[in-house]
Amino acid sequence: MPVNPITYAQLLETNNLMQINTDESYWLCVTRTVQESKLFPVPSYMMMSYLMAFYRYPSLLRKIEGRMRAEEIGDRARNMAMKIQHPGVSWGLPCFYMLGREWLINIGLLKPTDAIEDLIYVMDFWKRFMLAFHRNDGHLNSWQFGHRSQILPERQLQVYHADLYDCEAGDDLHEAAHAFMASASQYGFLISCESRISLHNHGPYKLDDTTELMVRDFMDLAESDFPWLDDVAADVEFNNLSVTMAVKDCHFYLVDDWGSFEAEPEFSAERLVGVGLYTSDNLSDGHIPVGMGSREELIATFKRLDAQVREATNKLWRRIAGWSRDQMIDAGAITYFSICKDLAHVAGVYEVDDWMKIDERAERFRPLFNDEYSRDVLGELVGYLSNPSQKVMEYTMMQHANTPTRMYSNIPYSVLSGEPYTSTVGMMHPGITNLPEKKDVFTTTKGKMTFAEYNAASRAFVPFDARTENAHLCDTWLKYHAETAEAQALYEHAQRASRTLKGKGAGLSRADVAALRA
Amino acid sequence: MAKLYVDTDKFGGSNMSPTVEAFHSAIKDIVRQKLDAAGGHWQSFVFDKSLDLITAEDFKSVEQMLTDAGHRFDWSAAISPQERPDIYKPAEGVDDSDIETFSFEHPEAVTANADAAGREQRGHGDNVARYSQDCTGTARYIRSPAQVLQYLTDGVPGDTIAVIDDSGGTLTAPILEQFRGVICAGGSTRSHLGILTREYGVPCLMNAKISGIRQGDTVTIECTADPKTAQDYQTNVERTAKVWRVQAAG
Repeated sequence: MPVNPITYAQLLETNNLMQINTDESYWLCVTRTVQESKLFPVPSYMMMSYLMAFYRYPSLLRKIEGRMRAEEIGDRARNMAMKIQHPGVSWGLPCFYMLGREWLINIGLLKPTDAIEDLIYVMDFWKRFMLAFHRNDGHLNSWQFGHRSQILPERQLQVYHADLYDCEAGDDLHEAAHAFMASASQYGFLISCESRISLHNHGPYKLDDTTELMVRDFMDLAESDFPWLDDVAADVEFNNLSVTMAVKDCHFYLVDDWGSFEAEPEFSAERLVGVGLYTSDNLSDGHIPVGMGSREELIATFKRLDAQVREATNKLWRRIAGWSRDQMIDAGAITYFSICKDLAHVAGVYEVDDWMKIDERAERFRPLFNDEYSRDVLGELVGYLSNPSQKVMEYTMMQHANTPTRMYSNIPYSVLSGEPYTSTVGMMHPGITNLPEKKDVFTTTKGKMTFAEYNAASRAFVPFDARTENAHLCDTWLKYHAETAEAQALYEHAQRASRTLKGKGAGLSRADVAALRA
Repeated sequence: MAKLYVDTDKFGGSNMSPTVEAFHSAIKDIVRQKLDAAGGHWQSFVFDKSLDLITAEDFKSVEQMLTDAGHRFDWSAAISPQERPDIYKPAEGVDDSDIETFSFEHPEAVTANADAAGREQRGHGDNVARYSQDCTGTARYIRSPAQVLQYLTDGVPGDTIAVIDDSGGTLTAPILEQFRGVICAGGSTRSHLGILTREYGVPCLMNAKISGIRQGDTVTIECTADPKTAQDYQTNVERTAKVWRVQAAG
């Protein structure tokens, strides 16, 4: 019996957090889209990734928190477009871990009473990160906000608002921006082995009665973590890019925990009336404008970046088309498993072997994952909820489905009354890969670095907003202290590269910003 | 033999898929045997002894059990039957060997005789985005990376309406923009292929249920129809666009 007692309150909260993920995951999985590919064995790599998450996340998250607390990373995550938003941490982190657990229960290799301290810890990490990340909208996740995702503080939104360039269907800027977003979306799917996890949207933010702002993030575009981007993405300038979009006469009524959106009437290109372009990471201290000096510069920049990602797409596709099935499974499983790897980058404790290898405990299951079994078991795990462990008493009416089912098995409270349990899966085990070893290069906003250099820079850097004196100066504080020097400093820092708002400070209203644009 | 925790389950029952049920039954038998061999003590087995006792070889035997019984697996990625043709059902329509005679045949495809304009309906699908004119071109099946590579090398004929059963965005990534139109026998308008064709302005029908369309047929897709929205899917609204054959190949 483990030494550290688990409390009833811990179990109540953990089971609640798991149920929140059950409700949202089921809705996402049945209403969004089925992910399939004739190129990648998608269900096979997904199943592998869930096992990797189950065996490794507890150790890796503890390693990260050895350097930086989850809630501090959540605070920093608001001010950068790295892969620690939706769906990375919001959905992938808890759900990949729990899907691995659920599958192991169904093959008899795990009890719901196993690795309980790991499970409590993973869910607690997730909760603390998410509450900090969503601090400005006050929710745990987008689901709790009725599928809305308002992450940014006023000072950043004012910069985005003020520096938008107007555009309309058919003009050069509109066409260049739209072409880039199409190419970058396609490149993102290819980088991520058919998944959408290189892409993220947040918002909407209200610009006026008829216009909303959505922010589209494109992440991991350049030579960075994935070995398959080495060389083919050498000429892609920016690892992360964010396109700000002003959209007229179109309400984004849904922005979910996968970072995808729905609008009424449907969003289409002709509704795009303003754009901006930014880059960021954990070293950039906020969002850096890209090509925003003039309208002409922005058009040329979109065209240049479009050409870069198109060339990288063609090179990468040819590389992938030559892969073996095992290599495809490795790449897809690594993409999924490492969906929250940027937590380690922010904390400055990233190691390639932690995130880019298949744990040997997961690797032994590979012979099971042919196309048919993987497709069917994945469908039962996330869609039909028809694995024996997922069926509950017949009076139950699950949210969204009205069926006696549950995606993730609760921890039985009987462990508090003497039912035996185990605490943890244990320490990290070695990993394997069928892919080439990763080159020691990572593209940051401070230039290309080795991983050791990047870790050192991450450990040394404290963003302005995260400094001790600023970390808790939230929007509620700002409401009553906009005239203070501290508030001025926060706003002027966010405005430092704005062509419209530089030095304007904390006193502007949204109407003031709109007037400055006119 | 050892009894597993999940062997007693008031509500559990069986898996929906016979393949999953067969796999899981076989795996649980292996776990019971290995747990017995380890002395039956779960706490020392689950994250310790089982790692050495339950191996990749054990899991290979699970698949072997089904193939020995004559089962051949469905494939989804072209690489799978290419590498292991012995365990998968035959791959059709993936290369030149049978492409002239291959066709998607959906049992629910709505077909009709030729109308006054000579258009013979061969099915329907979910329109991704509305365009001012219907789209006509030559049907060309694409089901494998080898076919995409060939188009990359030789160029995509300008009148190509790609007929695909992959709703993803990666198979056709380097050539998608060059299609005149797409008929996809899978997915929904929210699938990656649907999203990308909309971004590129390529007319596309997703979730297409078609029959009798052969390589080289001249086809028209009704992309002037109302697009199928997310709300339509959630409220089960039937909103479809037609696929016509204008002229048979040859």
